[in-house]
Amino acid sequence: MSEVISLIQAPPDTPLKIVDILGGHGVRRRLMAMGFHRNDTVELDSRAIFRGPVLVKNLTSDTSVALGRGVAQKIMVEIIE
Amino acid sequence: MSKKNNDPDVVFIGQPNCGKSTLFNAIAGLKADTSNFPGTSVEHTHSKVNVEGNILNIIDLPGTYSLNPSDPAEKVALVHLFHEKPSLVINVIDASILGRSLELTLELVELGCPMIIALNMVDLAEKKGIEIYIRKLEKILGVPVIPTIAIRGRGIKELLDAVLRGLEEGLTVSPIEWSRDVEQKIEELINLLPEEFPVVSNKRFTAIHMIEANKLFFDKVLKDINPPLKKALDQVRHDLETMHNAPAYEVISAERHHLALKIFEECSRVFRGKRVRFEEKIDDVIMHPFFGYIILLAVFCGFFFIIFRVGSPLEELLLEPLTNLRHSLMLSLGTGVLSYLVDGLLAGIGGGVAIVLPYFLPLIFLMSFFEDVGYLARAGFLMDTFMHKIGLHGKSISPFILGFGCNVPAIISTRTLESRRDRVITSLLIPFIPCSARTTIILAIVAFYLGPLWAFGFYVFNILLVAVLGRVITLFFRTPSPGLILEIPSLKVPSIKNMMKKTYFQMKSFIKFAWPILIAGSIVLGFLQYLHFDRFINLILSPLVEKGLGLPRDLGVTLVFGFLRKELSLVMMLQALDVSYKDLLTVISKEQLIVFTVFINFFIPCLSTVALLWKEIGKRVALLSMGLNTGVAIILSFIARLILVK
Repeated sequence: MSEVISLIQAPPDTPLKIVDILGGHGVRRRLMAMGFHRNDTVELDSRAIFRGPVLVKNLTSDTSVALGRGVAQKIMVEIIE
Repeated sequence: MSKKNNDPDVVFIGQPNCGKSTLFNAIAGLKADTSNFPGTSVEHTHSKVNVEGNILNIIDLPGTYSLNPSDPAEKVALVHLFHEKPSLVINVIDASILGRSLELTLELVELGCPMIIALNMVDLAEKKGIEIYIRKLEKILGVPVIPTIAIRGRGIKELLDAVLRGLEEGLTVSPIEWSRDVEQKIEELINLLPEEFPVVSNKRFTAIHMIEANKLFFDKVLKDINPPLKKALDQVRHDLETMHNAPAYEVISAERHHLALKIFEECSRVFRGKRVRFEEKIDDVIMHPFFGYIILLAVFCGFFFIIFRVGSPLEELLLEPLTNLRHSLMLSLGTGVLSYLVDGLLAGIGGGVAIVLPYFLPLIFLMSFFEDVGYLARAGFLMDTFMHKIGLHGKSISPFILGFGCNVPAIISTRTLESRRDRVITSLLIPFIPCSARTTIILAIVAFYLGPLWAFGFYVFNILLVAVLGRVITLFFRTPSPGLILEIPSLKVPSIKNMMKKTYFQMKSFIKFAWPILIAGSIVLGFLQYLHFDRFINLILSPLVEKGLGLPRDLGVTLVFGFLRKELSLVMMLQALDVSYKDLLTVISKEQLIVFTVFINFFIPCLSTVALLWKEIGKRVALLSMGLNTGVAIILSFIARLILVK
């Protein structure tokens, strides 16, 4: 079992498992509606400069979503060994 | 909406980017009516189509991820579904992301409306190496599934055949069971629903949505009308929460998610890792942390270059015959009230046709190109960092770009922003973006008399001002922006036909909303001129105009009427000073011209924009916007005067 980190700290191009989604109803509901759930496998695709948003690929539902840093911070993941 | 007759309502619903509107447009043709603007009855596109002698009333709803809405546009979809009880629902699905798309489908199955699935973009799914077993999908969901490629018009005939068959024979949709323990809890709640309870569609759907409901609003109402039921609901939620160690709404959402993925696995085979797809390679470049921005900048510059390249010759071409017509009419009508009114009417039509259209048309066409290709979402991703600096996020970028054409549709497009905070801030900033009418003034005054470099500088200053204002306005909002959550759709080859249709629809609704206001404003203006009301206004404004800004007193009236029609200020300035365009510098200095342009450009948004702000966002924001713009205009033009005019 690897340690739980926020999506923003995760290394790119590595399969990650969503452990938890923090934050209020609004953000959680929206993420879920767009197919982000606990236990999904995601991957950080690329990063923008200047502390920009992150691009997350959800391998479970095969979609790409851009998340602002604030939102990405609320997604807790662990690296799939 | 046509509840007057018995034509069946067929509603299109699907997640964003699934090609729903393309499919709808392919079926509706050009007859469709967009009532997307408020005040024109309902907020969606609808059309009547004749399919083999049967008249269908087809309705396109805004894209929605789920039946638990988060943005205002999504709410429209739901209100419609729940209230109008359509005869048939067509659920459009992006086959290339079947697993995710099925989540909405499952919600619709719970709703129990007769429905048909249009499995769209099957070509894209195939390219991604996904093979879908359609018969199996039909069997599991219990509804007809028709493969389509909307952008090429494939599968539409089959879809319409299925619609007719479905309407004739009737379709029954029954829910698919979830995990036993969750079902049990739902059952418990269903049994407690009193007979007279306002059930939506069916009891199971109602119970599920009670559990999922956003606590704040729904619970308050329920507590007032039926306290025991509220207690039971809380118990059910609590049980679900302890069983699954997650909020109840999340338990329900996870059930759907897992069921959707299970169905996806059962109904398809994925051949992965065949090759790195070409699109992914392109994405690596256009979303690159460095090259991505270079490309974005080039795209923006190219974008505006094309718009002005197409716009200004077109404007001249259109404006000239209109001006000639006005001159000859003036000669034949004399100086009576009629001549003023007719002149106002023509000026209004002229403004709409010759000034707004030439810039707006190429702009929305290019916008639909970038949207269809999928670049707009990527621009939002790239721009998010900068937008954060002014307290917004990447999604606000497309309303801003639209604002360069016309502020009116730009404000409408803020509907895609989820939070009211972001909508209000974006809508307050949009009126500061130089629309085509104001660009005309900048070009005609600044570029013509001072050179193109000055005009470019003016533009850059304007954009910086928007950034600074954004920064300042956000200081007044305590809640932070909810942050960017933006789906990046796969890159697609756009269809010209579809882009043209989109442009046409946007144009049509713009004309319907803005032109009447534009024309009415101009006629009023003509009448006021006839009454020589301008002298009175000049007198009142003289402290500001003469003393404050150091401009000729006669210009007072043009400032006020810029409110009715921005680009009119230019023509009116020439009228007020009684000079021709090329002799302008004989009566007013270059520096004064800049002060004038600064004021006109930032002064209150035009009447159409204010009217729309009022309707869309609210009275307070509209008034605030007027005050803000006036304040900024006065301050900036005064500063310009201090610096430039000795």
